[in-house]
Amino acid sequence: MAQQRMAIWAAEADLDEDVDLSLAIGNYGQNDHYEDSPIPQPQIDESTLIAMQQHMAQQAAFSQIPDVVKGFIVHFHQAVLENNLAEITVAYESGWNKYTEKFYSRTEWPEAELIAPLVNDDPIFLILYRELYYRHVYSRLQPNIDDRFHSYENSCELFNYLLNSEGPVQLELPEQWLWDIIDEFIYQYQVFCTWRSKVKSKTDDELQMLAEGGPVWSSYSVLNVLYSLMQKSKINEYIVAQREGKSPEEIAEIVGEYGQRPLYRMLGYFSIIGLLRVHVLLGDYTLALKVMENVELNQKSPFTRVTACHVATYYYVGFCYIMLRRYPDAIRTYVTILNFIMRMRQYHTRSYQYDQISKTADRMYALFAVCHALSPSRLDDNIANTAKERYGEQYAKMIRGGEEALPAYEELFLYACPKFITANPPPYDNPIAMNALLSPTSPLESPTSAQPSSTDAAHRHLSLFLADVAAQAPVPTLRSFLKLYTSLGAKKLASFLDADEEEMVQEMMVVKQASRSVSRAGTEGTGLLDGQTITTSDLNFVIDENMVHIVESTVGRRYAGWFIKNTERTQKIFDDLRSMPLPTPPKSAVAAHTAPAAVADVQKGTRTGGQKVAWGGVKVA
Amino acid sequence: MASSWITPPTRTELIEDLVSGVDRYNPSNVSILEDYLYHQIRSEEYDCLANLAILKLYQFNPDLYNPDVVINILLKALTASPLPDFNLCIALLDERPINTSLDEPDPLPQLLPVLNGLHDLLYRCRFPTFWKTYRSDELESLRDNYTVEVVGFENAVRAVAVRAVKAAFTRISAERLGSYLDLNGPDLEAYLNDLGWAIERSNSVVVIPPNPDNQIEATVVQESIKLPQLAKIISHSALKA
Repeated sequence: MAQQRMAIWAAEADLDEDVDLSLAIGNYGQNDHYEDSPIPQPQIDESTLIAMQQHMAQQAAFSQIPDVVKGFIVHFHQAVLENNLAEITVAYESGWNKYTEKFYSRTEWPEAELIAPLVNDDPIFLILYRELYYRHVYSRLQPNIDDRFHSYENSCELFNYLLNSEGPVQLELPEQWLWDIIDEFIYQYQVFCTWRSKVKSKTDDELQMLAEGGPVWSSYSVLNVLYSLMQKSKINEYIVAQREGKSPEEIAEIVGEYGQRPLYRMLGYFSIIGLLRVHVLLGDYTLALKVMENVELNQKSPFTRVTACHVATYYYVGFCYIMLRRYPDAIRTYVTILNFIMRMRQYHTRSYQYDQISKTADRMYALFAVCHALSPSRLDDNIANTAKERYGEQYAKMIRGGEEALPAYEELFLYACPKFITANPPPYDNPIAMNALLSPTSPLESPTSAQPSSTDAAHRHLSLFLADVAAQAPVPTLRSFLKLYTSLGAKKLASFLDADEEEMVQEMMVVKQASRSVSRAGTEGTGLLDGQTITTSDLNFVIDENMVHIVESTVGRRYAGWFIKNTERTQKIFDDLRSMPLPTPPKSAVAAHTAPAAVADVQKGTRTGGQKVAWGGVKVA
Repeated sequence: MASSWITPPTRTELIEDLVSGVDRYNPSNVSILEDYLYHQIRSEEYDCLANLAILKLYQFNPDLYNPDVVINILLKALTASPLPDFNLCIALLDERPINTSLDEPDPLPQLLPVLNGLHDLLYRCRFPTFWKTYRSDELESLRDNYTVEVVGFENAVRAVAVRAVKAAFTRISAERLGSYLDLNGPDLEAYLNDLGWAIERSNSVVVIPPNPDNQIEATVVQESIKLPQLAKIISHSALKA
């Protein structure tokens, strides 16, 4: 009973140091660039021409489309028809962005109906095309209510096709695109909810459409899609079977005809992450972690190839931990992913997703600073220093406590929190209630209703968080006094603080409470909700009647990790050198002794390998 | 969270299926979960995740909303402090439009600030103030209409105080402890007796049994290297040999 709690710093940091980056990170199409391709003539056959003649009005618009774009669409369609993943990837990641920049940076892409003749009215390709079309509208332009409704319908058609065709569909799409489909679906749901909650700026037409909108972007329909994809692909069963080391045949049997196909498996996995996100947006943090039950957070699974998904996963999981008052777990989560981002930065600075990832990273640094102030730890100095550099001013205020602390917490929270939504629409279908909302409010109510309701959801969660923070407010001051003593009378401590003794004793219980947390440290391998109580502060105390006894724990310096890392690195360099082909010796060296040749070998190898090896130079000198 | 929090041993299979499956979204199951809540209230059990499932259904189906159920859920969550249960429940209570379908005025908007205040006092370990507030005239309707139905509510609050005291004290004066528990004289003695905490007669000081949180010692954490960390290096050397 009386043994010590496990302390956070005694737990090993679960950072994967040696992630094979080439495997863990997808190729974002930096190497391949989409080349303009001429329109293959046979594609536009006679029937297409007739169809075009029938639409004279459209023809004018059609002729407006630059030929290279027509060629691109034809080519893109061909790649999708052939399930040619490499070509689809190039068209999707490079071609689309290239022509967006060139022709459509400020306008919509041509409507799907307009380009339909180019793709023989292929309904599947048109759905995919619309998916891109609307995504472009959302990211570059202002979607109007028709766009919002139609993008929803298009998403439904896409998921319907995937889920309700006879048997699994034969389509194949790049993983990145599959993630973007799920990600965009949830994003559009989130902006719709936010837009919908602003009652006052709506036109009569919009009010009418919202009143009759029914299930458009309703939470139930969004959850339905995600759960269906999850169940159809049997992704949870797949993950469990993988973990248990089942053979590929056994796994194939378990996951069935859908789960065997990469398209469904990836969509299933992305849906789990999608659910994590939706539940967080709705403020359900326990359910968010519960859907992740089977997912192991590590960087070695093939699911981490889509970096955007990998980063989003950690962002939302970390946020759940903050709201569960599990600050050490949030810190561990952010340290892991921020280190990952730091290491991958060199590979990805030019990727079209890099901006998004680095914005998320910034927000995670802010949340890290928040957690670090609430529960100081020494898990990773590197990340802590970067966070302090970026948010130094706020961090200083938070750590000092006092009056300025709360506004600093508030600022970082609002900057870094997810875009919370309200699950239900205002009563658009109830004219009486709507009138009450729309009519000029009585002066009494106006201060509250003046606040745009989109921020209400965020502020509701903010106030919960701030209440937790405020409860901890006396902790930093008390700790700083306790640090100076090994034992101290409660009366004396109270007089230092100019506080009532009884109040101060109660605050001491808060200090104790704040230095304990539920954490996954030491219980790895179980669900994300699991955990055990650990000690999070190096300062420990106990009150014997009216005497406070204080002890401090210290951590001996850690050497092993450094030596292990560098030994492994050296071994790898050594192996690389050994496996390098022997250079053809220069003519003069042929006659020479073997030993100098070996030196030349090493030096040559060093250069081609691009590694800088210090002793290579020393040898010459 | 301890596993008994995630899956209380008292949870039945039926409830487990609702909590962990997709059936939790089915509005027709709300009465099963509500019955389970009232069962918790009568038999001093507690299942946070099942109660959150009710609030989730309310969140998606505003017409199911029942303020009495919400208040009872919040009262149960209140005494889970310092776990975040109370906040987790509040986070699921969306802003709701003025509900016209209820027969009586919704008591929740009035009670919510009161409950928030009580939670704040408990989370900040202000136990004497908590009792004073809880026993005040203003809270009479909360006591008469709600907490009286929650069997063992006051003892559940005392359990919160006991958890805090256990972690921070090795010995505490009976008077101070009494003010945290809102007990004195024979009641206090009986309560401490049940806990197994002894009172020193001479100076009426209560001795808290040792536990992981009130045993302190200065430690130096040394790093320990586990074999798997060295696996790579050793296997590499083995290959060479």
